[in-house]
Amino acid sequence: MRTQENKIFANIDWALLGVYFVLVLLGISNIYSSVYNPERPGLFDLNTEHGKQIMWLGIALFLGIIVFFLESNFIRKYAYWFYGFTMLLLIAVLFTTPIHGAKSWFGFGGVGIQPSEFAKVGVALALARFIDQNSSSKERKKMGKNAGISSLWGIIPFIAKNKGTALILGIPCVLVLMQPDAGTFIIFTSFLLVLYREGYAGNILLFLVISVIIAVLTLLVADSNFMLPFTKMQLSGKTGIIIALIFITGAFAFVIKSFVMRRNRKSLYRSLFGSFIIAVVFVNFVEIGYTNILQSHQKVRIDLLLGKIDDPDGEGYNINRAKAAIGSGGFIGKGYRSATLANASQRHVPMQSTDFIFCTWSEERGFLGSFVLVGLYTFLLLKMVVIAERQRSIFTRVYAYCVASIFFYHFMINVGMAIGLAPVIGIPLPFFSYGGSSMMSFSVLIFILLKLDSERKIVLQ
Amino acid sequence: MRNIDNRKYVIAIIFVLIPLSFIVRLFYMQVVDDKWKDRAATISENKILTYPARGIVYDRNGQKIISNEVYYDIHVIPRQAKNTDSLALAQLLGISMEEYSAKMAKARAYSSKKPSEVVRQIPPNEFSQIAPELYKFPGFFEVARTLRVYPKEIAAHVLGYMNEASPKDIEKDPYYKPGDYIGRTGIERMYEKQLRGQRGVKYYLQDAIGMQTGEYEDGKYDTIAVQGQNITLSIDWELQEYGERLMQNKLGSIVCIEPATGEILAMVSAPSYDPNLLVGRHLGANYGRLQKDTLLPLQNRSINSAYMPGSIFKTVMALIGMQEGVITENSSFPCNKALLGCHNHPTAQGVSDGVKMSCNPYFVQLTRRIIQQGKDPSVFKDAAIGLDIWADYVRSFGIGVDLKTDFPTNVTGNVPDTDYYNERLDFRWAFSTIQSIAIGQGEVLITPMEMANLAAIIANRGHYYYPHFIKDIEGSSVPDIYLTPNNTMVDSSYFEPVVDGMWRVVHESGGTARRARVDSLAVCGKTGTVENFKRISGKVYQLTDHSNFMAFAPRDNPQIAISVFIENSGFGGTWSAPVAALMIEKYINRTIKDTVKENRIFNANLIPDINDIIRE
Repeated sequence: MRTQENKIFANIDWALLGVYFVLVLLGISNIYSSVYNPERPGLFDLNTEHGKQIMWLGIALFLGIIVFFLESNFIRKYAYWFYGFTMLLLIAVLFTTPIHGAKSWFGFGGVGIQPSEFAKVGVALALARFIDQNSSSKERKKMGKNAGISSLWGIIPFIAKNKGTALILGIPCVLVLMQPDAGTFIIFTSFLLVLYREGYAGNILLFLVISVIIAVLTLLVADSNFMLPFTKMQLSGKTGIIIALIFITGAFAFVIKSFVMRRNRKSLYRSLFGSFIIAVVFVNFVEIGYTNILQSHQKVRIDLLLGKIDDPDGEGYNINRAKAAIGSGGFIGKGYRSATLANASQRHVPMQSTDFIFCTWSEERGFLGSFVLVGLYTFLLLKMVVIAERQRSIFTRVYAYCVASIFFYHFMINVGMAIGLAPVIGIPLPFFSYGGSSMMSFSVLIFILLKLDSERKIVLQ
Repeated sequence: MRNIDNRKYVIAIIFVLIPLSFIVRLFYMQVVDDKWKDRAATISENKILTYPARGIVYDRNGQKIISNEVYYDIHVIPRQAKNTDSLALAQLLGISMEEYSAKMAKARAYSSKKPSEVVRQIPPNEFSQIAPELYKFPGFFEVARTLRVYPKEIAAHVLGYMNEASPKDIEKDPYYKPGDYIGRTGIERMYEKQLRGQRGVKYYLQDAIGMQTGEYEDGKYDTIAVQGQNITLSIDWELQEYGERLMQNKLGSIVCIEPATGEILAMVSAPSYDPNLLVGRHLGANYGRLQKDTLLPLQNRSINSAYMPGSIFKTVMALIGMQEGVITENSSFPCNKALLGCHNHPTAQGVSDGVKMSCNPYFVQLTRRIIQQGKDPSVFKDAAIGLDIWADYVRSFGIGVDLKTDFPTNVTGNVPDTDYYNERLDFRWAFSTIQSIAIGQGEVLITPMEMANLAAIIANRGHYYYPHFIKDIEGSSVPDIYLTPNNTMVDSSYFEPVVDGMWRVVHESGGTARRARVDSLAVCGKTGTVENFKRISGKVYQLTDHSNFMAFAPRDNPQIAISVFIENSGFGGTWSAPVAALMIEKYINRTIKDTVKENRIFNANLIPDINDIIRE
């Protein structure tokens, strides 16, 4: 066997690297188009967003080369250290002065750094390390047995049994919520996909779907009342949901009584009742969260998505302009640098170079462009799954899934928001949105993955 | 663990399904559904309309009778209007603070990004004070518009007026947009399409605050405003002005037609008003005031009022009689006053005499022969047959039919026929029942325009052109209908005795219109006097008769045919005839010799005082 340790670029997955460069270059060309200013036509002009983005790309590539010089073992070994470092940054950032109401930025002379972007890398590494570590010990087997949860009721003992994982994910979640930065918090929930893949809580996805349904129903009726049929009682929407849950529980109980053997009934009844309690608590949590905790603009975003309010020139301004920009692109688009809405000189679509960058792309490139871009991301995601699944190292596999999940969430929420399928949450579209921190963190995520993958053949358990 | 390994497929499926749903959604938004394209267009595109100058109107001698002047509207885009010193601005624009606040509130309510009007139609002399200061008020800008100017304060009824297009107009013709002006009456309405020209449109891209940022599609859809076509009217501006002076302090009308072409030389309706009153900012108020005036200055009496024709109608009876062969030019009827009242005169020895003396019994007997020709043994059926023959003849003289004049009206005279009487009379009727039609009383009605056209027919000896105002349209031609003659049912050979009679009316002693004489001109005319009943507060009063007169001159190769109708002025020869004579003299000789006659007319006030009438 040839020693590959000395060859830094050996075994690199060129397809992944290729997609990375395609996305990065398309992204910069798109930012150029989006913010084009005839007075500053230079591509490398550092006073423009495209110029800065190119600079960030340079820094990102530099970081990438550093990563390539590291060894997989080194990365694995210092995963917790890096995690700890990013957590310290997340704590430190809470002592800065808020910008736009959130303490998310370190400013260095006009350049802002967002530590939460790097926290993603830290959490991905730490989670990979933790799962890897536990799987190699006896704990893994013990955990494997208890990994599944059969009902919502099982969540509480599940968390209790997986304190380590819960801690690794919970700390950054709490810290970003303190900024507050709901967007990044939601990105951290992407790691649930990784846990699912790694055998934790098999029904977690099913429960997620059920919770989303219950949450949406609760939100829809949250501040409305209805009349109980055949009576004159005014009931709140929440009460209605709970009554519905009682009926469903009753129906399940009837099914258990009719079709399940007596000796198995007791535990099923317990799960059913426990699930009911959890569901009622959840409904109340959502309702209180929606009416009391959410800030009014967040509430409005949810209402807009659910169609509870329609205000294209007021509250719904952003999303209405974004959709108009995308929809007006047509089949082949308006052409490069020809956007009439998602463009810095027209300013109809707000934040068109960051959160709503997808609008510029779709308006100028039309459906064909949208198709290509969605296709590229899908390819990227599937490629990461393929890479993950070919690893012998659990650390690399978990890490690969972490990266895939992060990219997936960013893509899903950012594009979904622009086309009106997700609430307006300000998170960047990887490699397309203007922003130094995200450019660096996404690049580093990819480069670490490339490095770990390139050593897949020599890393033996 | 095998079970857990399968989870990679679940993840892969999620990674495919979500993007797939995005693709479906994007395909729907970008390719299938046009809603967002329309939305984007409303958001990012806008247009400026450029208004063409309306066509100029000239009289037959090339004198400018309607022209344009530029006025300025002040508009505001509320979003661009920041830190406005409202007090200074209101003062500059010459409006009160309340008015200014109200306008701004309205503008904001309409749109923060689209322009709204603040002040309308500032005349150029006032705007020259405002223009140099306006830059201090961002968001406020001027929009130039051309409005009509009438250099002479005459012919208001003919020229008509313009006002803002109503929602109904806009629905009917999508060319019009709210705020556009549209010709409402008169020439402005008839030739609206030619005069208005073609509006230009400039599409542009706008940014989020409505500022113009570029051309839309490189100006591919932009159009340039095309100036309206200039038109020339057949009106003789000097004659029109003179006619209006003559008709001051009178109620009635003058219509002059060139017999050889059917061109209308003048059309006066009194009382009139200054056409400039119905232009610009004060249109609404002025219109309301004119509308309330009991003398009905807005009514165009020349064309929109029908009166009994009186004796002038006798000429038509004579012509029909000769054509039908029931009389010859030498037929004589005794002046049998038992039949109908008449003045004292020798017996009329023929048509010419009959016309000259205007003998009532003569024409009753003549008309009886037309209507009761003995075609049916029953006198009633015979009258019905005869009346319809008679009515066809009368209509061929352009009475009671659409004269296709290029002037908006739906009023015509009335020619009663069998159906007419059957509908209205609940007993059997024959000529004796309806004989007053023979002398132009009763159910016969004629408009002053039809009367002038009748004069033109006799002048032409039997044919006429539809009376019209249009003489020339720049870039297109006068409609064919105005170039083809219409023949009456009476041969031209029968006209001479009537023409002779009309000449004698003016020139011989014993003629009824000696006041219509003009030195050196052979004027042919016929007077008429029409009984006038008016209902005032539910009671019917007989008022002073209306006086009318139709004429043409000279007798050979007539250049002008005229009808004059003056309400409440008594006998036709007294007032109407001299007015006609002055008009003829003015048109043919261009000067008036007999200033005494002229001053008599200028100084006469023939407007009846309603209080006097009631006292009588």
